[in-house]
Amino acid sequence: MRNLLLCGAAALILLTLSVPALADEPPAPPPPAPLAPAPVAPMVPPAAPTAMPATASPATPAPMAPSTPAPVAPSTPIALPPIPGDTGHFEFGSYGRVVTASDLQGGTGRDANVIAHGDRIDEDSYAELELRREDRFTPSITTKVVWTLGFFPPFFHFSGDQAQAIAIRNLYAQASYDDLTLWVGSRMYRGDDIYLLDWWPLDNQNTVGGGVGYRFRWRSDETDVAAHVGMQRLDSTYQYEQIPAPIPNFLAGQTGPGAENVTTLDRPRTIETLKLTHLFKHPNDQLKDGFKVVVYGEAQEISAGVYTDTTVNPNVQYGLPADTGWLAGTEVAYWTGQRDTFVQLFFRHAEGIAAYDPLAVPLTFANDRTTRGSKETLLALGANYELGAFGLLVGGYLRSFRDGDPSPTTSQKYDEGILAVRPQIFVGQHWGVALEGAFEARRFAMLDPNTDQPLVASEWRGGVMPYFSPSGRGSYKRPQLRIIYAVTARNDATREQLYPAADVFSQRSVSHFLGLGAEWWFNSSSYP
Amino acid sequence: MRMKHAHCAFPLLLACAAAATPEAGCVQVPADGQQPELATHVQDWRDEVIYQLIVDRFSDGDVNNDFNVEPGSLGQYQGGDWQGVEDHLDYLQALGVTTLWISPIVQNVDSDADIDAYHGYWQQDLTQVNPHFGDLAALRSMVAHAHDRGMKVVLDIVCNHMGQVFFYDINRNGRPDDYVNGSGNPDDPVLQVSEYDPPWQAGGVLSFSQEGQSGRAPILFFDDPSINRLPPQPGILATAAAYHGFGHIENFDDVEQRTLGDFTGGLKDLATELPEVRATLVDSFAKWVEKVDFDGYRIDTIKHVESDFWPVFAGNTRTRLAAEGKNDFLMFGEAFDGNDQLIGSYTMPGSLDSVFYFSQAFIVYQNVFENAHDPASAQGTDQIENLWNLKQTDFGTTPQDNGIGIPPYKALVNFIDNHDVPRFLFNSNGDVAALRNALTLLFTEDGIPDLYYGTEQEFSGGNDPANREVLWTTGMPTTGDTFAHIANLAGIRRAYVALRRGDTKVVWSSPHVGQEDDAGIFAFERAGGDAGANAYALVVLNTNGFKTSSTSNGGSVLQTSAPPGTTFVDVLDPAQATYASDGSANLQVNVPAQKAMILVPQGQVVQGS
Repeated sequence: MRNLLLCGAAALILLTLSVPALADEPPAPPPPAPLAPAPVAPMVPPAAPTAMPATASPATPAPMAPSTPAPVAPSTPIALPPIPGDTGHFEFGSYGRVVTASDLQGGTGRDANVIAHGDRIDEDSYAELELRREDRFTPSITTKVVWTLGFFPPFFHFSGDQAQAIAIRNLYAQASYDDLTLWVGSRMYRGDDIYLLDWWPLDNQNTVGGGVGYRFRWRSDETDVAAHVGMQRLDSTYQYEQIPAPIPNFLAGQTGPGAENVTTLDRPRTIETLKLTHLFKHPNDQLKDGFKVVVYGEAQEISAGVYTDTTVNPNVQYGLPADTGWLAGTEVAYWTGQRDTFVQLFFRHAEGIAAYDPLAVPLTFANDRTTRGSKETLLALGANYELGAFGLLVGGYLRSFRDGDPSPTTSQKYDEGILAVRPQIFVGQHWGVALEGAFEARRFAMLDPNTDQPLVASEWRGGVMPYFSPSGRGSYKRPQLRIIYAVTARNDATREQLYPAADVFSQRSVSHFLGLGAEWWFNSSSYP
Repeated sequence: MRMKHAHCAFPLLLACAAAATPEAGCVQVPADGQQPELATHVQDWRDEVIYQLIVDRFSDGDVNNDFNVEPGSLGQYQGGDWQGVEDHLDYLQALGVTTLWISPIVQNVDSDADIDAYHGYWQQDLTQVNPHFGDLAALRSMVAHAHDRGMKVVLDIVCNHMGQVFFYDINRNGRPDDYVNGSGNPDDPVLQVSEYDPPWQAGGVLSFSQEGQSGRAPILFFDDPSINRLPPQPGILATAAAYHGFGHIENFDDVEQRTLGDFTGGLKDLATELPEVRATLVDSFAKWVEKVDFDGYRIDTIKHVESDFWPVFAGNTRTRLAAEGKNDFLMFGEAFDGNDQLIGSYTMPGSLDSVFYFSQAFIVYQNVFENAHDPASAQGTDQIENLWNLKQTDFGTTPQDNGIGIPPYKALVNFIDNHDVPRFLFNSNGDVAALRNALTLLFTEDGIPDLYYGTEQEFSGGNDPANREVLWTTGMPTTGDTFAHIANLAGIRRAYVALRRGDTKVVWSSPHVGQEDDAGIFAFERAGGDAGANAYALVVLNTNGFKTSSTSNGGSVLQTSAPPGTTFVDVLDPAQATYASDGSANLQVNVPAQKAMILVPQGQVVQGS
């Protein structure tokens, strides 16, 4: 494992050192995905607020009957007559991917990753539909209101199940006054991602809250300062619990004895973030290359509560003490301005409750049932290089995670990492063939019963993906319509220790993934 | 120019990041959790003080393995684990403990009829550790830390049975029925029988239908992952052939039922006469010794296994472990029976090193000590002498080949109470003085003292599971009087080799329990033998609950084997009072009710003991 990590670090260094050579390429627009947008709303004419009720229509979920599959109709509100004095308008955007695949052994193709953020060639479907209202009320004041629905697989045509898992991923309003921006609502609030890993390694908030940002301008450079505070209370007995309790006598006198659910655990996690982004722009506008430095920090708090294990004994309660955590990280990014060539490097360290993904709850604890002692440290790399008919996407990271469990051997103490590369050949302006190679591994602080050494779960993955890219040549051009083939070879430890014996992944050292896929994004706040 | 600086920042930042991630790539299993090298850690098992602990009840060192715990409900898991034991080795050392006997470690059927397998005796997979108590590394770490302190660890194993891993498909409907009507016996057509745990049927549990009996009931293994009621492991244990299938024992005095029947609670009786089953048991448990470096076995329910099993099991185990550097491996068995001859039959040549001295627990600690305040049922100390006089005959005088090197009659595991009987303080109605007096005998008599956890905190639970209290909720203080008394006794035993290895000679016992001068007096010498010619100690106890008694009665006075005129020091007395024998080596001392003296010749006193 140590060799693996050293190799990974060496690869990251080599890739990083190779970046300056790209500066000689001809200028091109900055890449669409890796760079976070300025926190200022697009410049659009002002609109009267009375237009807002019209947004109810597109937010309504699509009918579930098979004969009426049409989802949201974004054109409907835009077709409404303009309101006098309001130059606002509606926008529709989307991110989506739909995949169907076979495992070539009679089953469905399936994601085979063994780490937290594996490569995405065999990932499942997911889609977002976004509707925005954008207005300009004065030359300095603009607003936008964003609704984004996320749709999770399986979809109806696959499962036959009319019930569709839908999540509200964005529901917020943002207003700007010159370089000052405010927003309030429920929002995906995040920075740059690593496309190959489908991951936002530095900052990825999903809270209900609000934020403020200000852009300082320094000749050609810009500095964005953004702060946010948000809350989330997951539907988990770590944060929220209702138990049945006898109704008050006052009511029982009218309804007879009975029970009603009472909230006995309610402790949202509060997250404060502060992010400073400085963009070094070249003074000569002819050169579009740029450099970005991000410094990011979080503080997190959760209050005390009491948990009742109703599955065992409703009379037994456990105290859940108040808890805190913090996170600090940085990102540097450089882009050549030529096509979508860039490189990003991320580093962050978190402790306490901040070491846990905000959409997850801790699985293990210190003996006082806090996350004291939990730590996460990661170093990640994302890059894209395009030259002529050749493209290369890279993603990788090294991550150390330690839980607060006093035991030195738990499944929640591990190191993991991946290096994924996707070279591709662009055939003409609209066709391409991508190859994918990846190695990922997680080393646990637990014994492998077969070797009596620390358990190392690892796998190699290779793939090939011919595609049609109607919008042109490039790694970030979408939509893409694909044929996907991936093969994964997992080691014995992965097979035997990570999957139950009845799982085919426990029985197969090699698994296949052959399918069709499409991916798109356009006009989306979340995927600019 | 500015961009050039920016380019240089990349490798610099990367280097800084790498330096700031010292833990990356460093995840390890600590050395204490890795494969140990087998070694012999014991010199003479009589030097040891065994402490029996139920892991689930001793200390909760890691809340993350507290699956399905139900605090306060003693029939359910409470959360104790091996980490908790490791965390409290200081506590055990302060008590004077030198050997830990831990409850079984292997994976169990987790729950049955709303009672949990917190005790560990419902084994399902002999190759896996019970995750309620931690993982293999945690177990190894605990044992390694104990060894670092000179402590030994004994593993509790079961050869007689597995947990309730199958049902008898009496009505052949393929599913377990709580009750089927009729036993299949034409003379008993309406009896309700549970397919989980049917009663004994000579020749095996039979299936039947309305038409009558239809042969042996199929044995069908459960497959219920939710409570780990899964087919047993390893190998042959997952086949019906590995079980007798005769239903549960109804008459424990019937040798056939006792050895072929399922144990209480539907625990399925293994066909231990089969060579394949024997080999599997030897191998399965020996592997744990090899993986963890245990120092001995405590073996459950030995009287429910045919006698010729034990020489095979013990002999093969000793040979295998000795070849790997593990010698003096103690194997002692539990035959829950007051019949001295029966329990002694398991230490005959070629068999086990030792057994629990159950007959003593009943005859001495129960009848003599627990009843000290009940003249109607209290018995004289002559009962002790009578029982001890049978030791050599009943338990044997020949050490086992490749065994611990001590004759079984000198290596009996003495105990006052354990997890299968009510605690001493329950039976004695809280008579703490009687308990401390009994403890004095436990720590001074021949054999190996075995202390049940919680005795030091004066636990007083009744029958199972009330006698399996949670220890850590007491705060585990080390300042209590009984804790101090035990620690003092352990220190004295450690200081005086005569109390550990000396031969035993009873010099006074009495049938009296009333107002007689010597009522309740029991005195014995520990001298010579393996302790050396000069080693000597005289222990005098008064078991009477009401009065001071004397080592004399009528015209008789206790006569010691020590030279006449010897001055003895009571090393149990904080003031270290002295007493001298007369010119005939007679020694008359008065011992207050439920007190004792440990008398050592003045020249042999070890200060600071």
